[in-house]
Amino acid sequence: MGIVELENVKKVYTLGKAEVHAVRGVTFSIEKGDFASIVGPSGSGKSTILNLIGCIDQPTDGIVSINGTVTDGLKDKALTRLRHETLGFIFQSFNLIPVLNVYENIEFPLLLGKDKRSKKEIREWIEFLVEAVGLGDHMHHKSNELSGGQRQRVAIARALATKPEIVLADEPTANLDSKTGQSIIELMKKMNAELNTTFIFSTHDRTIMDIADHVIQLLDGLVVEDTKRSAKVGNLS
Amino acid sequence: MLLTMKVAFRNILRQKKRSFLLAGAIAFGMLVITLMNALTGGVVGNIRENFSHALGGHIFIMGREWTDAGQMIMKIRPDERLEQLLEEHGAQIEGFTRRSQAMPTMIFGSRQTMQMLYGVDFAEETKLLESLIVTEGSFSEIGTEEASIILPQPVGERLGVQVGETMIIRLETLTGQQNVGEVKVVAFIKDQEELGLSAAYTSRSYLNTLLGMDPHEYQLLNMFLTDLDMVDEFARVFREGLRAEDEEEEVVEAEPAVSVTVAGMPMDPMTEREELTPWEGTRYQIMHINQIMEAVELVVGVLNRVGQVIFLILLVVTMVGITNTFRMIMIERTKEIGTMRAFGMHQKQVKNIFLWEAVFLGLLGCIAGLFLALVISFIVGGIELNTDPSMQFFLDNGKITFIFSLTKVVFNTAIVVFISLLAAYWPARAAAKMSPIKALSSHT
Repeated sequence: MGIVELENVKKVYTLGKAEVHAVRGVTFSIEKGDFASIVGPSGSGKSTILNLIGCIDQPTDGIVSINGTVTDGLKDKALTRLRHETLGFIFQSFNLIPVLNVYENIEFPLLLGKDKRSKKEIREWIEFLVEAVGLGDHMHHKSNELSGGQRQRVAIARALATKPEIVLADEPTANLDSKTGQSIIELMKKMNAELNTTFIFSTHDRTIMDIADHVIQLLDGLVVEDTKRSAKVGNLS
Repeated sequence: MLLTMKVAFRNILRQKKRSFLLAGAIAFGMLVITLMNALTGGVVGNIRENFSHALGGHIFIMGREWTDAGQMIMKIRPDERLEQLLEEHGAQIEGFTRRSQAMPTMIFGSRQTMQMLYGVDFAEETKLLESLIVTEGSFSEIGTEEASIILPQPVGERLGVQVGETMIIRLETLTGQQNVGEVKVVAFIKDQEELGLSAAYTSRSYLNTLLGMDPHEYQLLNMFLTDLDMVDEFARVFREGLRAEDEEEEVVEAEPAVSVTVAGMPMDPMTEREELTPWEGTRYQIMHINQIMEAVELVVGVLNRVGQVIFLILLVVTMVGITNTFRMIMIERTKEIGTMRAFGMHQKQVKNIFLWEAVFLGLLGCIAGLFLALVISFIVGGIELNTDPSMQFFLDNGKITFIFSLTKVVFNTAIVVFISLLAAYWPARAAAKMSPIKALSSHT
């Protein structure tokens, strides 16, 4: 059984009197430790599927199962808990909390729940993440003092702070130049390999999707290709 | 909770101008109400203090007895019960004075006027001398010259008498005979005639001689207490202790407070209702400063209520501002709210960020308002005012006094925080209820 399972999932949005079928019956499974890419042109349903996997949206029909939990029928509290315990997010426009510095942004998800680790352990873990994303010298900088690439690195560290099973990244390189985008994907791949965290990211950049070991291709809300590559790419750093 | 508090506090610093304006509006309200409370508190304190000085105490004991001719006179003779009470409660008595009094006609040349005159033991009444404002002459001769008098300036002007000159006083003795004496004017003092407190002062032994009393007798025993909160209890203890066996319990509280002073002298309300059946020995009438202050406190209470209403109106206006601002903030931070929700922040925690922000704004406003009130009161309180003599009664040596009450400050702060919370509640609730997907899809 995959860590993420979608079974005939549909999502219909109502825009005024019109209905938009964003996802028309999608079925796929992603295994633990996958570095999965959801690709497709704009409007193909990539972001909608990531939102459904991320429990920030509910399907109109079908079943979404995250780490063995079916999300259908869960109340807000349970969904919030599931997100906190199982998922990490990386956004296209970074979405760092502007009033917090690098360290505090990464620490932020840890403070939302009850962590059994000591303060010292938490501090060491955050420092490890900051070093891992190459921002050891920027620990106390605010987000507006960082470049786009640096902000996305902070976002990656933040997504991994709670040691989630799955990290979702919605077009993580879209606001970055190609070189920085490439380095961000490589960083994600490195973390995937080192921490065995499942990464699922959406992109329409063909060069980036080639790094993925599992590619799900969408078109008009339907899966048109689901490819798994047997050989996983190792540590790129 | 620490996380929500931290984010909330930093959010306030994020839009400094906006926070400054909101907190400024709150601070203005707090400034107005704090100054008003402190000013009225100071006025009450000064009136009480000035009354006490003018009347010579906080507790006033008068003695009355019947003469053989069936005439009631005011006189206190040496009394063991009284001495014992004074001894027992000596620790709570800061000082006491024994005064005689009369309403003589003062004559100088062809001019004459009636004037309240107190016979005072000047050696005992140092507080009185401190409170009197000398306009001409000095008190230095008082101790050496027994037949000397301190006159209110307007009385001196009416009579045309100068400091150092001698004038005549004509009065009735306690038993109704006419008597005349000569006194030397040693000083003029500022007068509070408008408040009915115009009084002249001479030595008690001299006035006693004119009134036909022994030198060790007196008419009023006035006490200054160490703690003004004890006034009511003290008066009760003395009433109990001095009540004659056949005397009915005195119900002074039932009397209207305004009837207690005439010409600066505590009057005896009992004579108006009491059946004047002669009794043996001395009966005592005990009055206290709070009875006089009741009317003042009533006026001050109304002033404070008016201040409270102004404060509430200001707060309601501010509340509308806070609500609108928080709505704006909610729209501005929609994506941020979505991000926090995505990472597992619960609805309640989102709501708490907004509410803490409102609390901090309210508290910052209160602190700023209090600080301004302290600065203003410090500056204004340092200015000596040359006002009308009647105004001096509200002042402390010509200066406005501000008394800050911790209870009132805490109460007003609590109101501000409550109203800030109320104002921010609906936007906070709306922010918390926002769906994470809608929040993250927002373009703000």
